[in-house]
Amino acid sequence: MFGLPGAGMQLRLDPLSLLFLVLLTPQMVAGALAGEARSLTYWLFALGMVLAVTAASAFTLIFGFELMSAASWLLVLRGDQKPATLYVGIAIFSAACLVPALFLPASSLAFVLVVLGAGAKAGLAPLHSWLPKAHPAPPAGVSALMSGGMIKVALSVIIREGFITLDPALQPWWGNVLMTAGVASVFIGALRAMLETEMKVLLACSTVEHAGLIAVGLGLALRAKAMGDASLTALGLEGALLCALAHALYKPLLFIGAGEVKHATGTASLDWLGGLMRSMPRLSGLMLLAASGMAALPLGPGFAPEFLLLHAALAAAGTGGIVARIGFSALLAVLGLSAALALGAAVKLIGVGFLGRPRSLQAAAAEEPGGLALAGMALLGVLMVPLALVPGEVLRLMAPVVRELAPNAALAPLGYAPLPLLGLGLMVAVGAGFGLHRFGVRGTRGAATWMGGFGKPPVWLPFGDPATQPTATGFAEPVARAIGRGVLPDDADPAELLVLAPLYRLHLKGVRLAEKLRRATIRERLAFIFAALVLFLLALGLLGGG
Amino acid sequence: MAQILPVLLAVLANLVHAVLLFALAPGLMGGVSKMRAWALGRRGAPVMQPYRQLYKLLRKTTLIPETATDAYPYWPLACFLSVSVAGLLIPSFATGMVTAPLSDFITLIGLFALARAATMLGGLETGFSFGGAGAQREALYGVFAEGALLVTILTFALIAHATTVDGIAVAFRDGHIGISVSLAFALAATLAVALTETGRIPTDNPAGHLELSMVHEAMLLEYSGRYLLLFEYAAMLRLMVWMSLIGAVFLPFWMGRAGDVLSWPLGLVLWAGKLGGMAVILPLFEISSAKMRVFRVPEFLGVAMLLGALAGVFLFVAERIGS
Repeated sequence: MFGLPGAGMQLRLDPLSLLFLVLLTPQMVAGALAGEARSLTYWLFALGMVLAVTAASAFTLIFGFELMSAASWLLVLRGDQKPATLYVGIAIFSAACLVPALFLPASSLAFVLVVLGAGAKAGLAPLHSWLPKAHPAPPAGVSALMSGGMIKVALSVIIREGFITLDPALQPWWGNVLMTAGVASVFIGALRAMLETEMKVLLACSTVEHAGLIAVGLGLALRAKAMGDASLTALGLEGALLCALAHALYKPLLFIGAGEVKHATGTASLDWLGGLMRSMPRLSGLMLLAASGMAALPLGPGFAPEFLLLHAALAAAGTGGIVARIGFSALLAVLGLSAALALGAAVKLIGVGFLGRPRSLQAAAAEEPGGLALAGMALLGVLMVPLALVPGEVLRLMAPVVRELAPNAALAPLGYAPLPLLGLGLMVAVGAGFGLHRFGVRGTRGAATWMGGFGKPPVWLPFGDPATQPTATGFAEPVARAIGRGVLPDDADPAELLVLAPLYRLHLKGVRLAEKLRRATIRERLAFIFAALVLFLLALGLLGGG
Repeated sequence: MAQILPVLLAVLANLVHAVLLFALAPGLMGGVSKMRAWALGRRGAPVMQPYRQLYKLLRKTTLIPETATDAYPYWPLACFLSVSVAGLLIPSFATGMVTAPLSDFITLIGLFALARAATMLGGLETGFSFGGAGAQREALYGVFAEGALLVTILTFALIAHATTVDGIAVAFRDGHIGISVSLAFALAATLAVALTETGRIPTDNPAGHLELSMVHEAMLLEYSGRYLLLFEYAAMLRLMVWMSLIGAVFLPFWMGRAGDVLSWPLGLVLWAGKLGGMAVILPLFEISSAKMRVFRVPEFLGVAMLLGALAGVFLFVAERIGS
């Protein structure tokens, strides 16, 4: 096999790598079923991820990580040229940080480099602005694996390095770094997801939010581990790992679904869709299930992780210094705002895209996708059920992972029990059904929809005038006016203005300088070489003389 | 036998609670409307009017708009069920009901969010403009209401060392908490969120029929018959649930214990008193304030969030000085 001479590849299967393998497998299958099964690059991409999560040596990890980056770059190129350049730039930056970090001794510098390198790959703020551009570019199966898998692989590197390899040098402020980056990603991701109108971009922004949530949980756990708080370590880790697991199921489903919608209608812009529940009922049902996870609604797959993370933040605000506690109060406020923003984004996705009237003929004439893609989505949907209904059992299965990362973590039973809630709901439903059936008038009658006073639409618009229906842009308008325009001036991500724009200017200056050197006349070049020679001799003489 | 009896009593308390909740919710709404009419110098509809309204909707044919999708009937059901489940979790006259361990505040926030999402999707369902306008405003209000409520919970959790509503009620009833500035701020924040969630003035007008300014009603315009009944019943339950919640957290004194039947009557009387008191105060507050413009509501809730955060900060400072 490949590998360093004499050492070769080293793999391992401990609980952590096993968890990430379990998390990657369903989405790889679903992505392959969604039309990527014959693509060699796709399988190389998948192989890179498997190697990166099971690596037992630094070389294997870097090999897997870079294989993943390179293969995904080729896959992004298949979709769109423009984000591919940005993407490869970020990948090189991430490698430049990660490679030295893995060979450094356990120290704070190594941790900062790991967070920079893997965090850039995971889309943590402020290095996230490439993600909503690059993730939607390739075909849906690849987008699914990039959002659901690649993010997790990058986070798994942070987990393994932060909790195990660099453990001897662990400092509480490491957790603060992760939490700060995480909470910024949560807010920006949720806000942008609420404001975007293109389905795949919306989903990619929501991925930034969930990567941030996982980072917040990891940061809380890392800080608590350094300070010796056993129960908070367990809460944070459980929240982060469960969030990673849930996100690895519903986000690929949503991406594949968005891809199938694009395939059927020619667009993924919510402003041109509508009423897909009528023409694609099965796909819409699966999308609704996954959107309930994205919005972290109770009885959905996304609520238990959110519950754990909020409880971890509540517990963290209960102890410690006054500044830290005020910080945790602010963290809670931002998590609350972002949870509601994520709910708004999910409602917009379903309400504008799948409910209502079609906004174009293509949307009206859409057909249910082929069996294979639907089977992949259904697989992910079925796997969400245990996570939604018995999250406590899933957490118990994950206990070895938590113990591996923090041996002293005090695991407590989950305070949220969906099954009794479901039971209560069913009892009320039976009661309500009986009452309505026994005493109510049965049956329904169709009626014309009230168009809110708009005139009769022309005959060539069988579903009414689309302009009389609220659009995705319109749906987001109140939030854009109240929060969005203050945080995102000119609809641009603040990270682009603060990080990418100065970098771009620096790059431009460098290019101009290089170009000036290249175009130098022969006299200038000779003068340059002569000056260099004189300087070199001078230095040599001075040093040799001294 | 000694082990079974407390469980049986807890179940019984829950049953009594459920029956009273579902039976009295329309009456409470009727009482509030009557009080409001009196305060405005009108005679007002009888207190029993909401029951008649619900019965009328039960006997009406349910119309389905032609642009509705197959999911149309499920939104009112989801909204009604999540509000009902939230209602079954929040203690009314006695603590220690069988659902007490489930009544975590974050679960409740989730259930309210589920009800809100179902109503918003119901508004977007038929693709008519008013429903969408209502839904987008509700999305905006929800963002600030959820943030404010989460920050406020922190205060409760810190004082009571519990995050279930039941645990908070028990801690506030049995512990000598006293009146603190933090709790006053938390009460103000909770009231602002409750007014928004139940769609009362100053954020929304429950009696409004001017489509341009409606929020909650705008989303229900296309619903009729038994589906509208579910939405309206859910709105009545929501008022009752929020009043019970505020009563249980801020006025838990002499609340009964589920395991002690003799404490139930006093608890029941007290609960009725709390609901009655709030049913008087709410209309008086409503007629003394004007409905806000939509974009003033984020400011209103932003103040609530700030008060909730201040309540927490005051606690931190007090603990630092006390220790």
